Amino acid sequence: MAAFEKTESGKRLSRYMADAYLNLHTRAQQGAFVVWIAINVPAELFLGFDNVVYGVPESHAAMNAGKGLGVVQCEKAERLGYSMDLCSYARIDIGCVADGGKDSPSFGLPRPDLLVSNNNNCSLLVKWFDVHHREMGVPHFIIDVPFCYEPQQQKDRAYIVSQFKDLIKTIETMSGQRFDMDKARQAVAHTSEGVAHWKRFLGFAKNRPSGITAFDSFVQMAPFLIARGTESFAAHYRLLADETGQRVAEGRFPVPSEKYRLFWDNIAPWHQLRDMSAGLEALGANIVGATYTSCIGSIEGSFDIYPYDGGDPLEFCARTQNCYICPHGLGLRSRAMRQAVESLQIDGIVFASNRSCKPYSITQLDQQRLMQDAFGVPAVMVEVDHADARKYSREATFTRIEALLEAIDARRAA
Amino acid sequence: MTDINQRLQKLKAEGKTVIGCFPLYPPLELFFAMDLVPVVLWGLRGEVGSTLQSDKHLQSYTCSVARHLTEFVLTKGLDLLDGVFMYNACDTLRNLPEILETGLSQGNARLPLIKIHIPMVRPDQTDASGYFKNEIRRLIRALEAEFNVSFSGDKFVDAAEKINRVRQLMALAEQKVAEGSLSFLSFCQIIHECGFSSIDEQTRILESLVAQQTDPPLSGNGQRPGVILSGILPPPASVINDMESAGLRVVGNDIASLGRTYAGAPAVIEDPEAYLLDFYHHHYPCPTLLYTGDRRAALLMEMAQKTRARGVIFVGEKFCEYEYFEFPYLKKRLNQMGVKTLELEISVEEDAHTAGHRSRIEAFAEMLATTS
Ligand code: SF4
Ligand code: SF4
Repeated sequence: MAAFEKTESGKRLSRYMADAYLNLHTRAQQGAFVVWIAINVPAELFLGFDNVVYGVPESHAAMNAGKGLGVVQCEKAERLGYSMDLCSYARIDIGCVADGGKDSPSFGLPRPDLLVSNNNNCSLLVKWFDVHHREMGVPHFIIDVPFCYEPQQQKDRAYIVSQFKDLIKTIETMSGQRFDMDKARQAVAHTSEGVAHWKRFLGFAKNRPSGITAFDSFVQMAPFLIARGTESFAAHYRLLADETGQRVAEGRFPVPSEKYRLFWDNIAPWHQLRDMSAGLEALGANIVGATYTSCIGSIEGSFDIYPYDGGDPLEFCARTQNCYICPHGLGLRSRAMRQAVESLQIDGIVFASNRSCKPYSITQLDQQRLMQDAFGVPAVMVEVDHADARKYSREATFTRIEALLEAIDARRAA
Repeated sequence: MTDINQRLQKLKAEGKTVIGCFPLYPPLELFFAMDLVPVVLWGLRGEVGSTLQSDKHLQSYTCSVARHLTEFVLTKGLDLLDGVFMYNACDTLRNLPEILETGLSQGNARLPLIKIHIPMVRPDQTDASGYFKNEIRRLIRALEAEFNVSFSGDKFVDAAEKINRVRQLMALAEQKVAEGSLSFLSFCQIIHECGFSSIDEQTRILESLVAQQTDPPLSGNGQRPGVILSGILPPPASVINDMESAGLRVVGNDIASLGRTYAGAPAVIEDPEAYLLDFYHHHYPCPTLLYTGDRRAALLMEMAQKTRARGVIFVGEKFCEYEYFEFPYLKKRLNQMGVKTLELEISVEEDAHTAGHRSRIEAFAEMLATTS
């Protein structure tokens, strides 16, 4: 099986995504209360209401980038005066909204009734959602999450929970609907079940050769962003893990001639998935894991699953505020990365310095040094913008990756 | 450029405990009340010369504020500072504590680093006052433990009154710029100096400036088109000179390290938690204080109206998302009220762009001169 061959799970994912966007538009048209959220906003809370749906501009932007539409949408925002230095997701989204979803594979997102940002993802998201807040005249709720340099403290968790309660009250008032805690509890349980299967899926990377590539996992992240909390979400990941297990059992691997096992740090290079995957395979290299996909379902400082025990869903959602895009400090990130390097038997790390995403990228220089010097893992820094293909050079990237492979060879020879 | 190094050395020679703070609005009163001297680590371009050390830790797409701050702490922090304080701001700054610690530890040195979290929720959305007050209590305890100092309500009142006096004096000095009896460049330099001085020294510098018998306003001052500057830092001296040579008069500023810092002063009370809650809640809008976003455009437009500014120059700090997300909307609103706008971009390599800035500033000044 070649890297990026469309598997059954891949085909199911395409249908799943198409249905999810169709459902979102349909329900919005039928009068559902529409919320736009940042990735780290606990989507499960919206399932505590009968008729609240949510769209995720970041995920929608990633889809545009993945379909090769990133630059077209970015340029629309730039023509409105938004700087090219701003996050490419934000530019894609602002550009897309500006002309009513034209060019978007999903015709954009339905108009929101409420915007909910979260400064734990990144605080620029608050400014980005403020743009919509002003231009569309839609209220904007800011979830403020204290940044973790150490494991989350109780005082911070209580503060986050109080904001979730205010968010629920806000939606109740605006939508006229009642929140049902049991439904939210059920949604968290579905997410948690899906996460367990997700971790099982990622675990096939431990196989030699790896049962997956990070590129498969990037693509398969989408339901986390737009369908958390549902039964179908859990079912999707169960099938994904089962099918992957089956392929491994049958000896079908994405990079059968795997010579180098690499680890990726940063958001996926959405516009390069196919090319990068194929290019690496030709070199006998496989990126078998990534911080971006591994931190899902974990808490800061580890990539292990943080299981839901059926308790207070708000507490659980507050505790897992760091489980998307690794938004926490250098020490915690390094700890988790080191564990992954050991458990996946990683030969080298590719740090993707991403000028569109400072929260992910700043600290990478120190982290690279730490991994190389303190832990002896060869590493390289490449420049990749996750969604703006204009800020990517294939030649420069592959030159560096090849240098990394040489360093790995030299280390093996020594 | 003023010699900040010398000022800091003087403070140290006087036995003062100097705390480098970032970002721009730390609770200065609290530090002064505890016999500490807080210095806000901004505008350090002239003090560091290069970004050689910082470049080992921060990518080139990081703003100059963070790169200069990092360079300063890594190269001079151990000599000139006794500790560092930070509160949460942008996505770049939130990573600096560990970067600074890592950078300093490479030389086996340590600088105490104290952090607090200022709630960024809108006050009408979530009542974060309990959380905030607890953070202030934590800060007091941390300062007491780390620097062997103590807090007293009386001293806090005294410090808050003095700080408020300093803020008023800064506003009066700004007025002199608008009247044409003080150049904007001198004003920026003096405010910068104040930021690295004891509170009494700041008062002395500013009182003497405000009381100074200045020359009468330049002839034709009223005819020189008035502009407001908006941004994180004032532009570099060369750019200010270009503005003044082009005949522009700075009649107001919405600069984070200037006007936004001294624009407001809460009523002084003995309780630091309540006082500082008031201070942050009602702070002059700044993109770094996320909950103030809704007030920003209205206040900028009001400033343009009051000062009869014909133009607003946005001094963009390259790679500062906070500022850049807001420019298009602010420009649109200002243009709708007939106020022209110009956007300049200042980067670490600012010297390379000075000629380009000059011609744009001259063209802008000409356009303003011909608009009534
Ligand atoms: S800056 Fe990074 S975390 Fe923030 S929206 Fe962009 S990609 Fe996401
Ligand atoms: S200038 Fe902007 S990006 Fe730079 S430190 Fe300040 S707020 Fe952050």
